Amino acid sequence: MNTILTSARHEVLCTLRARVAMLLLVLFLGMVSLSSLIGWLTNTTVTRVYEKILADGLTTAPNPFAAVSALYYSRNSVIYVVLIGALMAIILGVQATLRDRQSGTSDLVLSRPVDTIHRLIGQFLGLGAVIAAVLAASTVISWASISIIMGAPLGFDTSVRLIAFATLSWSLMMIFALLGMLTGLYSRKETTALLVPFVIWSAIAFVLPQIGTAARPVALLNPVPALVAPGSASFDLIGAVTGPFTITEQFKRAASIVLRDDSVTGSPWLSILLLVAVLIAMTWIVVVTPRHTLRSGLNE
Amino acid sequence: MNSTWIVAEKELLDLRRDRLFAILIGFLAVATLISVAVASADFRNQLDAYNLYVANLANSGSTVTAAAPQLFPLKLLRGGIEYLEILGALFAIVLGYGTIAKEKHRGTLHLFLSRPVGRFAFAGGKMLGLSIVWLGVVAALTAVSLIAVVTIGHAPIQGIDVARLLIAGGFAWLYLVFWTALAVGLTALSTRLSTGLIVALVIWLAFVLIIPQIGDTMDPDNQVPGGLFATLQIQKADELAVLAQFSAFDGIRNGLEVSSVTKHFERLTFAFLGIKDQYNQQPLSLVWAAMLPYAITLTVATLAAVVFAALATTRRTLQRKQS
Repeated sequence: MNTILTSARHEVLCTLRARVAMLLLVLFLGMVSLSSLIGWLTNTTVTRVYEKILADGLTTAPNPFAAVSALYYSRNSVIYVVLIGALMAIILGVQATLRDRQSGTSDLVLSRPVDTIHRLIGQFLGLGAVIAAVLAASTVISWASISIIMGAPLGFDTSVRLIAFATLSWSLMMIFALLGMLTGLYSRKETTALLVPFVIWSAIAFVLPQIGTAARPVALLNPVPALVAPGSASFDLIGAVTGPFTITEQFKRAASIVLRDDSVTGSPWLSILLLVAVLIAMTWIVVVTPRHTLRSGLNE
Repeated sequence: MNSTWIVAEKELLDLRRDRLFAILIGFLAVATLISVAVASADFRNQLDAYNLYVANLANSGSTVTAAAPQLFPLKLLRGGIEYLEILGALFAIVLGYGTIAKEKHRGTLHLFLSRPVGRFAFAGGKMLGLSIVWLGVVAALTAVSLIAVVTIGHAPIQGIDVARLLIAGGFAWLYLVFWTALAVGLTALSTRLSTGLIVALVIWLAFVLIIPQIGDTMDPDNQVPGGLFATLQIQKADELAVLAQFSAFDGIRNGLEVSSVTKHFERLTFAFLGIKDQYNQQPLSLVWAAMLPYAITLTVATLAAVVFAALATTRRTLQRKQS
């Protein structure tokens, strides 16, 4: 237990001292803060566009934005978690396990009666605490900015949904942090350790969803998950096979439902279950890393 | 010039032996093939749906005719271009970082700098070598795209299509050299090597993914699935007239988009390949006239990045001790 706590505390300290990690954290928080403003600015303009169309007598359709939920303003945060959050988590994960191998301190640490499982769980918890703190800060920022936009503090249900979204974001970011830890443990070069999880992330975020839904890569930057092309049996079949592996799309789906995005319907539970299953599997894969791997040197 | 060419030759040799580089380019080629296969399957689905619709119309005795979906071969490459925008830039950064990092790690940098070489021999040779590598990669990807369109997409290719593809390939080369040069400069300036890579990745994240995403998000027509104006059944002329009254907002949105070099590359390639409907099947002279500002900015940005790499990669920055 002592090893776990010591490793976790060490990880938090190292992350807070890393300037590049701080740069990414600031970028993430900055984008989350901006997302409400962008959402509000866009919604205001689109409402004015609709009112102009209505005044010119070009439509009689009801305003599609008349009943948008307060959480509409934070919908862009979903994509910032997939883009900035996941990449930030990868870098933190890689640095966590690569740091000891680069400086040679893993030899020193493992010369003590330290269980590698406890050591890795400690690092995982340390990273988890840092990511949780960042998400807590981003949730507070979102809550405050949406409250200002709406002119009143957010209600209980809306606040709980924001917290649920932060919890989902933590799960996704921890999956990528664990992926980073894994490549940091096994790679023989720092470049490979950083690059491999980036390639895996791009395959998960862009290639797999494209195969299953025919969505273009740039369209996948939309906070709403891609849908299978209608009337397409082949994409239905491929989508069913690739779907469980596209964890970023599963996250987008669950997050959109939690944030009450009307364009996504159904239950979020299957997506949440998949995310949790992947998180557990990744944790297991990382913590059973053999002792000799932790002590292996780097080629550069 | 001689030492510059020797550095370039060494770079080419190194990359020919680099398995990681081969894997990255292989991944990009596979992603391009997948995107062509997906786009052509999607088109066949549309065609099937159209045929079914026409058959149903005929059975019901209707005389209404519907326009059949048309296959424009180069439109099948949209996904491939988007992969180049996102992943190509990422791999270009890794390549630029790797070229400086390997010399520092192996200790060959000090050996090279102990020789009587010119001020720009190292940076110039590295950039020359990497530019040649990217030329080869772009040529290979262009060939892969062309073969994929003909074999997987079953689309007929004409001479003009090849010309359009070659022009798009030229812009892809400029775009990739831009990111590589930026990474070379940033890595040379960083005391810790990984800092150079991570700073380059943050810039990539901001300019390739975030800024274009914000621009798309702010587009009024993107607020409703299927498009706001289509949902409200507004004609194109009316749409333009309404939007003209919100020019300030659109100016901000467009300003954000054009601040990203990625958008310049995207607009150029989409126009020349006819992916953007406005330029589809238009004569090349017309497309050139419309796209000249973007062509100039992309070229200037690439030249600026190369100059930055050359100025940043000095004897002093390269020999700084790692902290």
